[in-house]
Amino acid sequence: MKVFVILSLFCVAAIADDYCYQDVVGACSKTANKHYSAVLNCSAKYGAIEKVQPALQQYINHHFVRSFEYLLMSTHFANYQKNRAGFEKLFRELSDNKWHEGIEMIKYLDSRGGEMDFNRIAEDVAKEEEKERSFELYELAAVARALDTEKKMALEANSIHSEATRKNINFHDPEISDYIEKEVVHKEKDLIRKLAGYATDLTNLLNKQDSSLSLFLFDEYLQNNKLF
Amino acid sequence: MKSFLLTVFFVGVISLGSAQLQCANQELNIPKDWIDMKEVCINKMRDQVTEELRASMQYMAMGAYFSKDTVNLKGFSDMFFKSASEEREHAIKLISYLLMRGELTSKVSDLIKRNLIPKTTTWVNGVSALKDALKLEASVTKKIREVIKVCEDGSSFNHYHLVDYLTGDFLEEQYHGQRDIAGKISTLEKMHKDHGALGEWLFDKKLISGEV
Ligand SMILES: [Fe+2]
Repeated sequence: MKVFVILSLFCVAAIADDYCYQDVVGACSKTANKHYSAVLNCSAKYGAIEKVQPALQQYINHHFVRSFEYLLMSTHFANYQKNRAGFEKLFRELSDNKWHEGIEMIKYLDSRGGEMDFNRIAEDVAKEEEKERSFELYELAAVARALDTEKKMALEANSIHSEATRKNINFHDPEISDYIEKEVVHKEKDLIRKLAGYATDLTNLLNKQDSSLSLFLFDEYLQNNKLF
Repeated sequence: MKSFLLTVFFVGVISLGSAQLQCANQELNIPKDWIDMKEVCINKMRDQVTEELRASMQYMAMGAYFSKDTVNLKGFSDMFFKSASEEREHAIKLISYLLMRGELTSKVSDLIKRNLIPKTTTWVNGVSALKDALKLEASVTKKIREVIKVCEDGSSFNHYHLVDYLTGDFLEEQYHGQRDIAGKISTLEKMHKDHGALGEWLFDKKLISGEV
């Protein structure tokens, strides 16, 4: 652990002290080997990206994990027995959204001089695989699952944001925290509110003997309304 | 007395029932005669969903690599990200087909597993990534042909309609896509031989403007 701390301190110092310009002057000088092949220190990295990168990589992978899960939930509603085109659409929209947000976040990570690591995944998300989980859920349960998932996503964004806003020169990075706010946090708020609203509606509508007509009408409503 | 007790019991059940939400619908009795796809073919199709998603995530890794600041080939990156989304669409099309034929009423939860992590994540240059892409497409084409072969099995049950769909729609796209990538490799490799970085940089800008 100590070694790791010292190493990472060293890395921070190295990034702060080595300049692209110096490298370029060295590489371009007459005495330099003309077949200069060493990597110049001219990356886009600055600020807290080095510190925040692992959390962002994880977050991106979680987007893809959830995207596939939403796709399965959508698939279930599309079978001929469920035949709920509205719920199929709702979960397809969630799946598409997580997919495209994931791609955009890779581009963002790269724009800050970072790189993607597809292996990085949070321990609790990895542990989910140990238990058998079903994505073949009835309507209200599926909305409930989505709501919980989105809250988890929002909280993960909050924790990345807190990393980037720590008032420490090596961590404070208003560009990252602003990105998280603009591109993630507000959108998650809207999504969570909408799903919570659906959960409320469904809970009220299903509170009687026969729910089939309620579900039919709610499904029709979902067919005609966009989630995003 | 007995009937009274029974009545009390039933009323109890009903009031209990109305105290909780009616979340699930009743069991249905729909004729199954129209559902005629065979297990071997269905399983092949399910596996192909995974193959398409695996290809998708491999393209995703290519997109990620080429948008790095130290690589900076936006044309390549955009092209690969687009391919990633297209492969995902292919998986969804296969799922939709199975649903149309009355399949996927069960065992949906393990249709997509978490085994899609891309194997290769760095490339020496644009040409080598394009060559990988071409190999990837060729392997997907081969897999689709295997699905067709199994689903066409005339001696037991020929899935005519699916085979036609896979041939006319999926293979059609595979062959055109492969020719397109092969052409790109050819153009780029010719420039790359003598003009290395310049050839690649120029090709990348042409990719962005859609000129190659
Ligand atoms: Fe494909």
